[in-house]
Amino acid sequence: MDAAYNLARWLTRNGHDAEDVLQEALLRAYRFCDGLRGEPRPWLLAIVRNACFTWLQQNRPADLAGGDDRLEEQVSPAEGPEALAARELDRRLLNEAIAALPAQFREVLVLRELEDLAYKDIARVVDAPIGTVMSRLSRARRLLADSMRVITRAARPQVHE
Amino acid sequence: MTPEDANRLLQAYADGELDPAASLEMEAALAASPALRAALGRIRAMSAAIRENADYHTAPARLAAQVRRALPGPDRQAWKMQWRFAAAAAAVVAALAVVPFLLRPGGEDRLAAELFASHGRATVGQRMIDVASSDLHTVKPWLSARLPYSPPVADLAAAGFPLAGGRVDYVDGRPVAVLVYTRRKHTVEAFVWPEERGPARTLARAGVNMDSFSAGEMRYWLLSDVSAEELRELAQLLGKS
Repeated sequence: MDAAYNLARWLTRNGHDAEDVLQEALLRAYRFCDGLRGEPRPWLLAIVRNACFTWLQQNRPADLAGGDDRLEEQVSPAEGPEALAARELDRRLLNEAIAALPAQFREVLVLRELEDLAYKDIARVVDAPIGTVMSRLSRARRLLADSMRVITRAARPQVHE
Repeated sequence: MTPEDANRLLQAYADGELDPAASLEMEAALAASPALRAALGRIRAMSAAIRENADYHTAPARLAAQVRRALPGPDRQAWKMQWRFAAAAAAVVAALAVVPFLLRPGGEDRLAAELFASHGRATVGQRMIDVASSDLHTVKPWLSARLPYSPPVADLAAAGFPLAGGRVDYVDGRPVAVLVYTRRKHTVEAFVWPEERGPARTLARAGVNMDSFSAGEMRYWLLSDVSAEELRELAQLLGKS
């Protein structure tokens, strides 16, 4: 239940909506129940995930824009001494940076890092080939690293004041 | 290998998702390259930061109660079972929800997509062959020793498809044999594993042809950039042998 809620919460970015979507998805799942097949957890997360995307399409279409799978190679500007020390970053900034990722990058990151799912299970949940999961995860981590670098740079002067 | 592929491999290594052979290759590459070690350090630091600091949202207690109340049947002891049923039902609902949503392929098409991806990775990653030999008496025992079954390996050099070698790949959640044949300067990969007989089918995607068929107790999936006709020719040779 927590895993399902955590995914819904990260995708909708809102506790109240996450509850509504999750409750409806679970009841629907129950109604369609026709026997036990496959591993429960990825399936359950898949249903919650699809419910969230349907909800996003209806209520937050803007959230689904801006993230496509094209793999433009963005060479990060600061790979050297400027490299980020992610651990030192403020919790809040990290959470904001994750929340700001496009939904399909956010979901693979949440499933991998917070739910600790294997690539093949993530592929089942998001209904994409493993290669696509790998690309999105790689892209998600890079986008996150880039945005944290920007945020820390912006935050630094305030810290020193 | 493009920087993107290298990055994906490194990430798969950091996530513990590479097979043992690829892990060993990656460890050798890491030992040789400080830049690669630094990149790995960055991926791990990021991962650790997220795991330590990102919010994990646990479900409010009242939500479980609400769902329980809304479900039919008074038997609350059975709640755990109902959960498992709900999870299983996702098979049906996910299919229903996905069709209008993205028209994505499922089932066997997912497998085909996985095979196209695997073939693509092998082609760009130059990790197509683990055991390089044109001798079936070298390739077959090598594969048999690493798999729960013994894949048929045919010598088709006389027919214009000399064997180049084989590897073990991971498809559909299990290790499978991949035989690599050559055709002029092209390579043809033959994924093969035991499976009940099914209808033959062909597919093409982005210049890669796929030909799948059953022979004996085995299912073959041939992938290559040679023409569909040449692939069919190899399929018939393998089906007979």
